[in-house]
Amino acid sequence: MRPSAGPLRGVRILDLSWGIAGPVGVLLLAELGADVIKVEPPGGDPFREQPAYHVWNRSRRSVVIDLKHDEGRAAFVRLCETADVLVETFSPGTMGRLGLSYQALAESFPRLVYCSVPAYPPGHRFAERPGWDALVQARAGMQNEQPGWRPGPVFLHFPAPSMAACFLLASGVLSALVHREESGRGQHVQTSLYQGVFAFTTMIWQEHARSDAPFRMMLGKTYPPGVHQTSLFECADGQWIHAATMNGRTPTRTPEEILGLDPVDPMALYGDPELRARHETDLRAAYLRRNCRELVEEFHQAGLGAEAVTPMSDVFTHPQFLANGMVETVEDPELGSTTQIGVPAVLAGTPGAIRGGQPRVGEHTRDVLTEVGYSVADIDRLTGAGVVEEGATWAP
Amino acid sequence: MGPLNGVIVLDLGQYLAGPYGAMLLGDLGAEVIKVEPVRGDAMRGAGMPFLGCQRGKLDLAVDVKAPEGLEVVLRLAELADVVHHNMTKGTAARLGVGYEDLKARNPGLVHCNTYAYGAEGPLSDFGGLDPLYQATCGIEYEAGPMAEGNPPLYLRFGMTDTANAMMSAVGVLAALYHQRRTGEGQDLWTSLLNGAAVFASDVFLVEGEPGPVRPVLDRNQTGVSPCYRLYETQEGWLQVAAFGPGQWSQLCRVVGRPEWDRFDTVAARIDARSQLEPGLEQAFRARTAVAWQMMLADAGVAAEVSIDTYDGEIPLHDADNERLGLVAEYTHPTLGTMRQFGSLVDFSETPTGPFGPAPLVGQHTRPIMERLGYSGEEVDDLLARGVIYEPGEDYRWTI
Repeated sequence: MRPSAGPLRGVRILDLSWGIAGPVGVLLLAELGADVIKVEPPGGDPFREQPAYHVWNRSRRSVVIDLKHDEGRAAFVRLCETADVLVETFSPGTMGRLGLSYQALAESFPRLVYCSVPAYPPGHRFAERPGWDALVQARAGMQNEQPGWRPGPVFLHFPAPSMAACFLLASGVLSALVHREESGRGQHVQTSLYQGVFAFTTMIWQEHARSDAPFRMMLGKTYPPGVHQTSLFECADGQWIHAATMNGRTPTRTPEEILGLDPVDPMALYGDPELRARHETDLRAAYLRRNCRELVEEFHQAGLGAEAVTPMSDVFTHPQFLANGMVETVEDPELGSTTQIGVPAVLAGTPGAIRGGQPRVGEHTRDVLTEVGYSVADIDRLTGAGVVEEGATWAP
Repeated sequence: MGPLNGVIVLDLGQYLAGPYGAMLLGDLGAEVIKVEPVRGDAMRGAGMPFLGCQRGKLDLAVDVKAPEGLEVVLRLAELADVVHHNMTKGTAARLGVGYEDLKARNPGLVHCNTYAYGAEGPLSDFGGLDPLYQATCGIEYEAGPMAEGNPPLYLRFGMTDTANAMMSAVGVLAALYHQRRTGEGQDLWTSLLNGAAVFASDVFLVEGEPGPVRPVLDRNQTGVSPCYRLYETQEGWLQVAAFGPGQWSQLCRVVGRPEWDRFDTVAARIDARSQLEPGLEQAFRARTAVAWQMMLADAGVAAEVSIDTYDGEIPLHDADNERLGLVAEYTHPTLGTMRQFGSLVDFSETPTGPFGPAPLVGQHTRPIMERLGYSGEEVDDLLARGVIYEPGEDYRWTI
């Protein structure tokens, strides 16, 4: 592990999380400088079979401890003595059954910030429901809000509830740490995948009493897809362009000029559906005569916004992504040299950094237990009894 | 209230990503002062999207281009712990409120300028809208799915604005923590592009070639495998997630296809999609989504009804959501009773909320000016000369 110069230097996080929201939220904190210890069950976190874990699990150490075993729990409590933060994403009640609930630990460790991220908030009638990302998309109504190519809900391939919850986790933990500087006390921080869905509804789920406001119904669901969907165009080379032409600059040319079309009066288009439909047909035909990359370049030169629609892996060749320091080489213990996204927030004074690739299962069990006072003989005995494990390559 | 109680955030942003980042800090208990141009935030005309990212803020309307207006903002920066905004590159410095200007007044300041593309580089001068980053980071490609021959699909939630707002809040909080421990302020940035990158973070290259990827969405946009997808039923749609031990075999039994439990790994089921899915689709049409959900739950199989929210009506009036504070209700000066989501994060010792409405242009100009030490006469003079603004008879915005 590379040393930390980030703002969270010296903050230790015990990461019991699995799934998506937990590991990604912890990733943000790890690369802002926290010392993260991933605590895995014997055999390793089963989610390691997800290729994404090579990214989401990086920048942390791994210890394997059997929390169902008394001596394993004792070892975990020893770790808690050195920890500032604990993150867990089990279903409600799991930590309690292990004797590791917030209440149980807060008594001994009043400074601990204990963060739980279940699928639904405790006390909700859905709290006991299974919490896979798409189930929350379904139950929260997110699938139904997204217009697709047929009537009915669509499956969001991008795990939206979890991806919002990762940021909520990080901001919750950080604000509790800020508060602890003043109060000296930790607390229980909770968010959920369900609340993650709400975080995406700033523009759509609002209600107000004034019936004559012009925007009362403005962003209701439309089918087929509307608004920004209409600025996606297929090009001659089969690539698609998203020409979202507003970008805060004063353009030197219009899209019509670039595409070789006659100038149009936007107000006239607005008032005349037939004219609008004809213009739309002309636009689609004009885009089909040009290559995507060439058009993107020309739009940019004219001060207009446009980007090629690309598979995710193409982001690593985007010139601005490179300029942002977002393309990083990471040595992964299992895969070798990999290219992964960098650290998305750039702090000038205390910059964050990737600390290393995904650790092997239990790679740091011995080091970490030694740090908290276990002798070689103790560790050998616990390893022999299967209470802890060290240094394995993960296999399903 | 909230863990950031006592923290003062100056929000110099407009549109969505900047204001939403500051609002998230406000939700966590910070006092957020929105510094708004006297002509109004350009986003006000959009209605809902404006209201969605401004709640609970105090509002001071000021013309920063007037020397006395600039001085007001600089004095505010002396009070603040954090300054947050999304002006395009160089704009804040041109106005005299760049990081260097503010730091001269308040060395301990945490300052975040969040961008569309980034701080340096070929497109750093550009602003940009959410669709550009959904395009760049693969979201539209995957949602299509283009790999199956569909056109790209835009996701209407404004995902990358949200990501940018949240990433900037996380960055600010980390810098604020450092500030609280050391007294050192600093400058930080993120961008829509960087925020969107978190959504694309599962993608990586091995030796320069694309590494293993998640299974792709099917052309009918139902899901990624027979055990993780939507099924249309006699009434409504059901999302199935039959991952756990034995769940696939139980699913096959419940829908009357027990012989299919021989496809006992996810990989085998993905390989056999074209064989399994037509039969399952047919089977699921025999009952309603609610009936299946209950039958599957009894058999230990994870599934949910994919509900229609009726434009948010259902979640905003759900009794559990109300009781648990997931819904906020407040009174807006011109729109009356409003609802939107409530608490996104809950704290045992420092509870958040209640949340307030978005402010009118300059709604708190006078009390904030007085707090900065301006006398009543000075305030009246600046109002008369249009350097600052407070709502009166001439209020011309809907909200």
